Amino acid sequence: MRPHRFLTATACAAALTVLPLAPARAQQGNLRERLEARGLPAELVDGVAAAAAEAEARGLPTDPLADRALEGWAKRVPTARILSVVRQFVGRMGEARETLRTTGLSAPAGDLVAAAAEAMSRGMNAAQVADVVRAAPASPSAAPSLRVATALSAQGMEMDQAVSVVAEAMHNRRGVEQILDLPSMMRAMQARGMTPPEIGNQLRLGGGPGGPGSVLRPGAGPGARRPGPLGTGPGAGRPPNQRPPRVTPGTL
Amino acid sequence: MSRHGFTPDEQRYLDGGPHGDVSGAGRAAADALVRAAEAYRDSIPDVGARLDAAVLGAVRARPRRARRPWRWAVDGRVRPLWIPLAAAAAAAVVWLGVPRVPAPSSSPVAAVRVADTVFVQFRLAAPAARTAAVAGSFNGWDPESVPMVRDADGAWVVTLPLPLGEHRYQFVVDGTVWRPDPTAPAQVDDGYGGTNSVIVVGPKGLVRT
Repeated sequence: MRPHRFLTATACAAALTVLPLAPARAQQGNLRERLEARGLPAELVDGVAAAAAEAEARGLPTDPLADRALEGWAKRVPTARILSVVRQFVGRMGEARETLRTTGLSAPAGDLVAAAAEAMSRGMNAAQVADVVRAAPASPSAAPSLRVATALSAQGMEMDQAVSVVAEAMHNRRGVEQILDLPSMMRAMQARGMTPPEIGNQLRLGGGPGGPGSVLRPGAGPGARRPGPLGTGPGAGRPPNQRPPRVTPGTL
Repeated sequence: MSRHGFTPDEQRYLDGGPHGDVSGAGRAAADALVRAAEAYRDSIPDVGARLDAAVLGAVRARPRRARRPWRWAVDGRVRPLWIPLAAAAAAAVVWLGVPRVPAPSSSPVAAVRVADTVFVQFRLAAPAARTAAVAGSFNGWDPESVPMVRDADGAWVVTLPLPLGEHRYQFVVDGTVWRPDPTAPAQVDDGYGGTNSVIVVGPKGLVRT
């Protein structure tokens, strides 16, 4: 090979290497700036940045790592513990991505990887993650569906049943907004004295607090009206005569 | 007579051109002159090769001028080597030089940018508290950016526009004490030895119980 051709080929290879790395470096900068803006010490910022670099190299999202670091720092958790949690979540996201690949997603979105990792951290196994993702009609609806299933489980429903409820809702062509209302429906049914298994059965049948078919009919109930624009006051976008949503008082 | 002492015919004879009647004396003088000129030429040493070598040596020995970087723009020739390097440099400038998207704000207005939002009221009964705030995944866990205020009943309250989806949070009492919301629909391990409260905001908001 002539020298100038060798140099040209080398330069092309270098350019092709540099171009994909440019966004990654920008992300690194954003992550550092975000952490430093909150006053995190340099040792912690460096540790999180190193974990984020590893995550980026593996094609994993970095925002969840920054969130965990900020949460730990705000709660005055020791630096070593924060870094341990951050690194552990990198590994969890790697496992989650491999699980997602078994569903046919060769390059799952970062938000979906994070949601799957979070779900697996809260007790959802790989097969259950795959069930929810396969049931999703489109990739963007998979992440919120995983979070809803995890929330139903956190509210007392068995994980198997929670996965089944969410997957069934998607099979029945429920929209994402309707699925997002499932935890509130469960909350309302619990307030009426229903047990989690009873609630799961009713939700699988498409029933809401008012009985089977009362809420989850396609095109009716939740999702039929979208929330209104901000600034129109509490209650904007909700169906008429519905009380403003609220988190009930806590007691210390 | 010419100015050199030759007649025109003698001059033409010397030049090798057609000539007229040249006298014998004139012819002899011209021939003698030619022979003298040839003898003089032969007496001069041959400096051509040495002169060429000396000139080239001097040229090669002089310091080389740096190539002007803008030469490519003048003569229109670009070496292929520079094309990918220029592309890489341009990419680096674009990616590193453009204003970066600001990090998610730690203020509660972060949710304002999301179209699908629902107002959620957080309430905390903590009569002995001097201050109270709510911090969570929606505000980067900033314990100061969402302060709560006492309402007429003495409870601490704040109403936030939250995007649809799952949110984790805790109350922060007196600036340092982190407490989950015991009335939240779900509680999860926060990974740091504590418990986060979880809400999933749907289009209908949250069910009040």
